[in-house]
Amino acid sequence: MADRGDVLQGTLDMLVLKSLQLGPMHGWGITERLEVGSERVLHVGQGSLYPALYRLERQGYITSEWGLTENNRQARYYKLTSAGRKRLADERATWARMSRAVDLVLRMGEG
Amino acid sequence: MRARLRDIAWLLAGLFRRSRMERRLDDEMRFHLEMLAERHSRAGVPAGEARRRALAEFGGTDRFKEAARDEYRSRLVEELAQDIGYAARVLRHHPGFTIAAALTFALGIGASAAVFSVVNAVLLRSLPYADPGRLVVVWERHPGRNVERNVVAVPNFEAWRQRSGSFAGMAGAVPLPATVAIAPSPERVMGAEVSPGYFKLLGVTPALGREFTAEEESNGGENVVVLSDAFWRSHFGADPNVLGRTVPIDGRAHVIIGVMPATFDAPRFSWLSDQAFWRPFGPTENNRSWGRFLLVVARLNDQSTIEAARRDIAAIAEGLARETSANLGWSASVTTLESEITGEVRSPLLVLLGAVGLLLIMAIANVTNLTLALTRRRDHELAVRRAIGATSWRLARQLVTQSAVVGVLGGVVGATVAVASVQGLVALLPPEIPRVESIRVDGPVLVFMLIAVAGASVVVGLVSAARAMSVGAAVTLRERGGRSTRRLRGGALVTAEIALGLVLTVLAGLMVRTFVALRAVDVGFDTERVVVARVGLSGPRYSTPEARSTFFGDVLEQLRATPDVQAAGLISTRPFGGAGPATTVADANARAVGDSLVADVRFADGGAFQALRIPLLAGGVFDERDRPDASPRVVVNETLARTLWPGVNPIGRRLRMELFNGITPEVIGVAGDAHLRDVRTPPRATAYLADTRFPSEARDLIVRGRGDVAALVAAVRAAVIGLDPTIPVYQTETLASVVGRSLARDRFTTMLLSAFAAVALLLAGVGIYGVFAGDVAERRKEIGIRVALGAPGAGVVRLVLHRAAKRALTGVAVGTGGALLAARGLESMLFGVESADPASFIAVTMLLLFVAFVATLVPAVRASRVSPLVAIRTD
Repeated sequence: MADRGDVLQGTLDMLVLKSLQLGPMHGWGITERLEVGSERVLHVGQGSLYPALYRLERQGYITSEWGLTENNRQARYYKLTSAGRKRLADERATWARMSRAVDLVLRMGEG
Repeated sequence: MRARLRDIAWLLAGLFRRSRMERRLDDEMRFHLEMLAERHSRAGVPAGEARRRALAEFGGTDRFKEAARDEYRSRLVEELAQDIGYAARVLRHHPGFTIAAALTFALGIGASAAVFSVVNAVLLRSLPYADPGRLVVVWERHPGRNVERNVVAVPNFEAWRQRSGSFAGMAGAVPLPATVAIAPSPERVMGAEVSPGYFKLLGVTPALGREFTAEEESNGGENVVVLSDAFWRSHFGADPNVLGRTVPIDGRAHVIIGVMPATFDAPRFSWLSDQAFWRPFGPTENNRSWGRFLLVVARLNDQSTIEAARRDIAAIAEGLARETSANLGWSASVTTLESEITGEVRSPLLVLLGAVGLLLIMAIANVTNLTLALTRRRDHELAVRRAIGATSWRLARQLVTQSAVVGVLGGVVGATVAVASVQGLVALLPPEIPRVESIRVDGPVLVFMLIAVAGASVVVGLVSAARAMSVGAAVTLRERGGRSTRRLRGGALVTAEIALGLVLTVLAGLMVRTFVALRAVDVGFDTERVVVARVGLSGPRYSTPEARSTFFGDVLEQLRATPDVQAAGLISTRPFGGAGPATTVADANARAVGDSLVADVRFADGGAFQALRIPLLAGGVFDERDRPDASPRVVVNETLARTLWPGVNPIGRRLRMELFNGITPEVIGVAGDAHLRDVRTPPRATAYLADTRFPSEARDLIVRGRGDVAALVAAVRAAVIGLDPTIPVYQTETLASVVGRSLARDRFTTMLLSAFAAVALLLAGVGIYGVFAGDVAERRKEIGIRVALGAPGAGVVRLVLHRAAKRALTGVAVGTGGALLAARGLESMLFGVESADPASFIAVTMLLLFVAFVATLVPAVRASRVSPLVAIRTD
């Protein structure tokens, strides 16, 4: 079930939370936000997105409710909870540490 | 933890909100699809094409929705419900399979649970005392005479108690059969004398009153008594004000100072049996000279271990052996109380548990085979389901669920079987099995059954799942219809069934041979129409030897005058009635004492030899000359005579006996050897002394009669009561039942193992039949072609039998190896037969091959009748 241009394993949750930090959004909008935000490098398939959304909702990091789009369409809007905000902060910190670490390793011996 | 709770809440809510959830999923998917399509049409793609592309990009909506649902609530629970429903449908459609599989499970699980409940109660449950692991028994031992556990002499007990640093407490105990005279009639009751501190040592306190104090040890024990709960209820109506009242025990009034709780189960081991009361035991000048008779129970202190205690006590005993000549050659050892109480029955019970475990394995193998056959019939259905997207994992789970449903069905029926058979099993149990009253189907047994059901279901499910997975979907779809397989399916099962069946049947065969051999032993006396009854004299009236002698003389005289009585006599301990005293003997004229011979000592009169029909080989028996003041005379048995005086006539010689501070009675007769201990123990050297010369207060009357046994019993009772109505007559039974009871454990083991073997043969037969019936059914087409090409019926039969023979012979080889090992575990219980008895092995092998032959013959003959038309018919 791998999607093309899949996001790094384990970072999807963080990216979803991040995209919702900009404001409540529906599933489609989240994929667009991620694609645009990543300059079309990251592609999040719906096969991973919706399971992730339901998982995050179950874990209490986001909530959802029906709302209307600009085009007056019914869509399910997801919103960060305070637990979700905290989780995002934690994940960012971890990510920063990890990416710095990986970077350091990659630059070993290169002066 | 909170996260876990939230998950569960979501899960439950999710299950209830299922339809809402489905709608939400659909709506969200539709919205997403529309947005995708919109993006395409914005890029200039025509509307229809845009939608098609969107769908293609999206992939299977269902696949994806399932993944989403998975996250929404744990899918497992829902699928489990689905799987159970599915299993129920499959099982309903195949009632034959369901009933056969459930019954087979029930048999295996029920039988093993029943045996386990006995093992659990008797062996596994810890003793009902405080910290029972630290309770030990201290024994004297005599390595030179190969005696490992001997009762203890009082001075040694006192020395151990004083010198040892290993124990928190040490107490002596000795059984006390006594006459308790509570209206309306006197009774013979088993009690015990125990050192003060005995109950504290065990960690139990009286429910009423107190236990003995150290002062009550003086003068050989004050006249105070602690009653058992049962005795208190039966004789004092559970009177709470019973303390301070008196009970006459052996003619002396004892003050009741305590009552033990109902839960107190007094240790029963060695010669300590049931105990209705306890009085204090204290060392006296008198009992210090009685020799070895005391049982010693002790509690290890916190610093000690059993090994350290063993070294400690052995070192003390070494010192004692140097100090006193009576201790020459004697040492001491320590065993756990637990091993003393359960030791004798441990190995038979473990053998039975192992055997029933094999039976359970056979049951599981058979159900596996049945399930495989069913799965095979459903190959096509499974293949179709895989082709339309069911994962292997899902199919495997369904098969495991299905076998779990069968397992639960079998478990429920099995539990019923277990509850019912535990009752029967307890009734069959030999009398000396400890803690019988606590045998029941309880928590641990239920846990055992749960584990058995779970284990069996998983094994059966996984094996059939493994098979289902190994069959490629495409292959199976193509292979619908006739098929010719070279390999026999379930061949391993045939081998296993034969091997396991062989092991179980060999064990049973060896026990049957043992039992037959035990029954065939000539015990040396005649049990036909002989009644034994014990009579106990007590009170001042019988304080002199003359009074006792006169009483017994009168009873015997009256019995001999009874018309239907052929012979009557008395003996100190009836055959199989316990160990009795023993002493070192030698020829009184021998100068150098070589290896000393230990002889059992029995006190008897001449009538006892007649009543027991122990033949007299030389000389005569006791008569009126053997009065209390006469010089003692002795009748020896053949073994003793042959050992001390080989090739010489012993009549008229004198025997030196250490008993009674050394006596040298004249040998007046030689009696035939008799098994006085039990059937297994060969006759030991035995010296019979005249009962009239050494009269005691308790004797076994032995009466041989012509007529009805009940009339004999009545005659014995009448003779005693006619002389003195206060004298109790007890332990009345026929000699035949005494001997029969001594074989009860062997009978029990034999019966159970035989039953297991019978079931094993049945399971093996059914299992093998199943495999070959399936094989023949599967190869109908191939066989049809062979027949069409002119193969004779006999050829077809041979074809099937040949396939069976290979497996059966492998099974026999494996089984023989297993049986050789298993039989070694049985060795201590065998009698008159080697554990590797070739006759048993050959007979059992033939039996197993016969069962396999019959089980194969039926499908083989059916195969030979396959019509050649099958070959040209298509599905």
